Order: sequence, then structure tokens, then C-alpha cells
Amino acid sequence: MENRFFDNWSTQLRKGMLELCILNAIRGTSLYGYDIVRKLRSIEGLVISEGTIYPILSRLKREGFVQTTITESTEGPPRKYYELTAKGEKILNEMNDYWQDIKTGTDALKRKEKS
Amino acid sequence: MINLSDSAKKCLDKYLQQVRTYLRGCRTVDADEVERNVIEHIESEFESATAAISFEELDAVLQRLGSPRQWIPEEELPWWRKVIFRLRTGPEDWRLAYISFGLLIAGFVILPSFIVLIPASFIVARAALSETEDPGQLKAQRWLIYPSLIIVYLVSLCFFLGLPLLGLIPLAYDLEHTIRASYKIGDDTPYWLAVCSVFAGSLGLWWLIHGIVFLARLNIPKVLFRPFADWFSRKWAFVLLLIGLVLMIPSLGVGIWYVL
Repeated sequence: MENRFFDNWSTQLRKGMLELCILNAIRGTSLYGYDIVRKLRSIEGLVISEGTIYPILSRLKREGFVQTTITESTEGPPRKYYELTAKGEKILNEMNDYWQDIKTGTDALKRKEKS
Repeated sequence: MINLSDSAKKCLDKYLQQVRTYLRGCRTVDADEVERNVIEHIESEFESATAAISFEELDAVLQRLGSPRQWIPEEELPWWRKVIFRLRTGPEDWRLAYISFGLLIAGFVILPSFIVLIPASFIVARAALSETEDPGQLKAQRWLIYPSLIIVYLVSLCFFLGLPLLGLIPLAYDLEHTIRASYKIGDDTPYWLAVCSVFAGSLGLWWLIHGIVFLARLNIPKVLFRPFADWFSRKWAFVLLLIGLVLMIPSLGVGIWYVL
């Protein structure tokens, strides 16, 4: 019962966090899909199934938050690189501020609990 | 392009087919783009491979990619995929609710089959009801489950309340002649009164018996007409018993009057 509750809660949390992390991963740079997955892999507990990232990238592209460029690769076939658009930059700033507020609030609650 | 063993190739084809199936109809995602990304992902994983990729090696990568079914939030799926998704993967009570409603609709659309499909829909609806401890928690499922329950309960209730009439009405003509012959009733006597009193008497006796049975076993109507008979109490069993008596007494009076 507790496990199921935790699983549901963490799934809900990951849904929103993945979008934030993907946008942050490509901020100021351009990465191809697999590189984004590798970057996010390093965050413990964030990516349960790596394939989830690709539909999110597709959705972010449709929303106009990211754009793609095809670049020739020395290691194989041409690769599709993702980068933030101006619109994506703006929404990411808002998302980061929002997340920071929540994090500050929850940290304050935790500190209060300990004291 | 990576070199895959035969079994790995079959496995990849099956996986990509799943990707296409689960992303089909999802308006927020470009299914072709996602499929290309997945292929790129697999190619990148095996970039440095020199020999043909085995099934086990590929399977490990696909396990990490996860089932395409989990990739799209349910709210982003088109309505028809949500229905299929819930039927295939949803909690048992939701699946049963959808199946029950589907059978009911099919019963109305394919008219001759309603004799089979509506009872089937009713059985599935009862099964869905059994999945829920408290029918009050059914929420939206009620709209899928209740229609077939209401139809079958109404038919059953009419049948149950009027069973003696159903049996006696076809016999009314014979009954009238039997009464007339037995008691040598003249032509000026209202025969319909005798027939009606037999009907009312048998109906009264039927309801009286049920009133007594329900008084002894209150849960029978509650279980039979779940969840609509939770209000049924001793008071209502007693009311049924009284109505039975009220119907029986005048019919007995009429009978005695004829005999005398």
C-alpha cells in the first residue's frame, strides 16, 4: 500500500520534472536525443524508462519551445540536434522560478520540522 | 546502420511496431519523429559494436527504453485510444464497466442479439459492482454500469410483482367458465368480479409470501437489486405483507359471497 502510494506520487512528480530537466539540459547548447538521455540518466530516479524522453521532445518541438537542426556526424548517420527557441528560453525561466519557489518552500518546511 | 542478429531484428521490428501503435492518434506527438529518435538511440547504444547485436544485448537497451505504452500520459491520448487503453490495462472495475456498456449498446444496435447481450451486459455490470466495496465510490463508472442494471432490474421487478397475473391471464377465459359451472352463477352475475377476485387473491397471496420471506431475510432484495435496494428495511417488507393481505381479504370475501 505504501509502495503503491510512493510509486504514484513519484510518477506524478517525474512527469513534470522531466520536461524541466530536458529544457535545462539543452539550455545554451544543442544536443541530440541520445545525448539528452545520457545527461538525464545521471539524475537518480528521474528517468525510469528512457523512451519517455522522445515523445516529450516531440511535444516541446510542436509547442515551439525547442527546434531541431540536422548535422552531419563523423561517427555515423546525420544527427538531429535539439536547441531552445526564444519561446523555450522564456518558458524555462518561468519554470525554473516556479520550481525554485516550491523547493525553497519545501526546504523551509523540512527545516521547521527538524528544529 | 547497426548489424542485428535475426532474433534481434525481429525483436526490434516488434518494438517499433509497438511504438507506432501506442503513439498513433496522439495529436501532441509526431509519431514518425519519435520512431526515428528511438532508432537513433539504439544505433548510438551500439555505435562501437563490431559483431552482430544479439537478442539479449538489444533487449537490455529496449528494457531501458521501456514500454511505449508508458510514454504518453493518458490525458493526451485520443478518446478511442483511452477506451482501448482502459479496456486493456485499466483497473478491473473500469474494464468491466466499459465492457458492460459496450455490450448494452451492441444489444440495442444489433437488435436480435439483445436477448443475449443485455443479460451479458448485466452480468458484467454486477461483476463490476462486486469489484467495488462501496457502490457510492463508483463515481463516473455509474454511467456505464447502471443502464443495464436498471433495465434488467425493472424487467425483473415487473415480472416478480406480477408473476401470478402472468400465469393467470392466459387462463382467464377458462377460469371464468370454471367458476360459472362450479357455483352455478347466473348470467346476470358480474363474472369479471369473480375473475378479478381470483387475480387479486393470488397476487395478494404472492406478495404476502414475499413479505414474510423478506421479513425473515432482509438481505434477499438488497442482494438481488444491488445497489438500488439498500433502503429496503423491515418496514418495507411489512408494507408488502400488508398490501398482500389487503388484496387477499376482499377477494376472499367475494369468493365466500359467490359460494354462499
